[in-house]
Amino acid sequence: MLQHLIILTIVIPMAAGLVALLFTGWRSAQRGIGLGALVLNAAATLAIAAGVFCDGGAAILVSQMGNWPAPFGISIVVDGLSAIMLAVCSVVTLGVFIYCIGQLPGNQQGGFFHPLYHLLVMGVQWSFVTGDLFNLFVAFEIMLMASYALLVVGTSTQQMRQAYKYVILNLFASMMFVTCCGLIYGHTGTLNMADLTRMSHAGLLPSASTPAFVMLLFAFGLKTAIFPVWFWLPDTYPTVHAGIGALFSGLLTKVGAYVLVRTFVMILGNPDGPIASAVQPLILASAGVTMFLGVLGAVSMHSIRRILSIHIISQVGYMILGVGLGVGVGIATESRELAVAGAIFFIIHNMVVKSALFLCGGLMQRHAGSDDLEQIGGLLSRAPLLGLLFFIAAMSLAGLPPLSGFFGKFLLIRETLATGHWTLATLALATSLLTLLSMLKIWSYGFWSPPRGLHVEEPQKRPRTALGMAGAALLVCVALSMGLGASVYFRGCLGAARTLVTPDAYVQAVLGPARSVPPLPAVAVADARPHDLQSDKSGER
Amino acid sequence: MILLTCIMIGVIFAASLYLMLGGELKEICMGVFLLGHGANLAILAASRSPIGKLPPVLGLSDASAELVDPLPQALILTAIVIGFAVQAFLLTLLVVTWRRARTLDVRELAVEEH
Repeated sequence: MLQHLIILTIVIPMAAGLVALLFTGWRSAQRGIGLGALVLNAAATLAIAAGVFCDGGAAILVSQMGNWPAPFGISIVVDGLSAIMLAVCSVVTLGVFIYCIGQLPGNQQGGFFHPLYHLLVMGVQWSFVTGDLFNLFVAFEIMLMASYALLVVGTSTQQMRQAYKYVILNLFASMMFVTCCGLIYGHTGTLNMADLTRMSHAGLLPSASTPAFVMLLFAFGLKTAIFPVWFWLPDTYPTVHAGIGALFSGLLTKVGAYVLVRTFVMILGNPDGPIASAVQPLILASAGVTMFLGVLGAVSMHSIRRILSIHIISQVGYMILGVGLGVGVGIATESRELAVAGAIFFIIHNMVVKSALFLCGGLMQRHAGSDDLEQIGGLLSRAPLLGLLFFIAAMSLAGLPPLSGFFGKFLLIRETLATGHWTLATLALATSLLTLLSMLKIWSYGFWSPPRGLHVEEPQKRPRTALGMAGAALLVCVALSMGLGASVYFRGCLGAARTLVTPDAYVQAVLGPARSVPPLPAVAVADARPHDLQSDKSGER
Repeated sequence: MILLTCIMIGVIFAASLYLMLGGELKEICMGVFLLGHGANLAILAASRSPIGKLPPVLGLSDASAELVDPLPQALILTAIVIGFAVQAFLLTLLVVTWRRARTLDVRELAVEEH
């Protein structure tokens, strides 16, 4: 019964986007529809998450589109990882929407912001539930198209000058992704994630397909902004309004991280296969550089949005560290599971906390009139509640116990040390220190220093920030619950990680019990026909 | 046949990358369009050579005959449609960038105003 709820995660935002399009120009109707749809969406995703985790994260919900059997039809699957990502994503989009209703200037909220918002949410949630690589491409394109349009709607000339970079780089990555999909289909005869997992763990992937799979690292890495394909992010994220920046930072890069986890830990995560041994050093090296150089870039900036945007990169580095350890060449299964659980926990913690920080940064700019830390100060006396929210979110990002960032970093760094990657652990700890430094920089320049800025020059003009504060407060409360109730979230993440590292249950749920994953170590079968589809008997290749 | 297709795909990718490294936004957009077309052809190559195979139509052949694989063609249709939307968006972005910034040269666009 519950699997029929999965399609709601795609249909509700789609319907909201289309209906909002009908009410272009009638802003209160769009807001009401949007709010109702996002609350309904949150209820659906939380119900699905409750259903998946009611017996410890073992349940996997599968729904076949058009009732065509897998792997010929398109499957939508919700396992532990998808359920967690859906639930957190819906809460983040709700909080950011409440902020945007209150804070986005009128001309930006004009006709098309609302449909684009909902269609972006649809693309994100669709990419979390899909069980097919090409369907993932379609979901990505929907999400990215909405983000391209949100990037330029109602923007200044300065923002327009930078918009094309983001568009063209993402299009390049999308074209690489679709080429890889075609090549993977040509080699293996399937694009269904469960079928690819089955083949990968049985050692049935043709060796000629290895470059196509490794190319996926490039395509997904560009969406996630890892080294060395991270350069589009610092140029484009700081130019957007804080609400849209919160949406982008909370969702878009995290979808890339989710896809990396799904692909390289589950689908290609056979430690004895050629792909894992090719990919693991790349991912780990990239993680180390991303973490450390990302935070160095952020420390040198003095604009709030720029600091927060570049921080996204260094936080993504932590997630990739968990993915690299989860690929698992030469690593025990339990370490792999803990590393992946740490990465998942870090992803969800980051989704909430990063969005909350962007929203707080936007409210700071609203009060003080400027984004530049060297021109504002003393906001604590003006907006103490904002100061409290920002402090909780910032300390959570920096990783102070008992807030959520600490537990994510603790898991990841402990597993890094346990598997003997000393350099990476040192880089991770150094990054953590520098993150704390830059968060304290924003705090001390923005809140703690002598008062300066618009709230000092015109103290009687208090901006209306009620809805903005409500949105930010919602996200900070969720972040607090992740910190104080971390064991609950961790149990869910560990259950999800177990499904990923040993995907037997996933494959059986999607493909049926006859096709199961043979136990590791994989049996290498030479010259195996990978699929029952028509085989190519002619000599033409 | 497939060798010829692959050479053609390589030439299209090379041309599109050359265009994307150009100095004007128009060239870069043309490069993106060509890249999409090349990617579609790459998926077509995945359906193997159609020489000697029958079209995948019901009733045209018996069970022993070999059919052309129709799935890559379905994937290409989806990719063409998405590429079409992308092209429409890029062209609009081009026009609006021209109207706002009065230049399409990439080096001039990169100069920060403040």
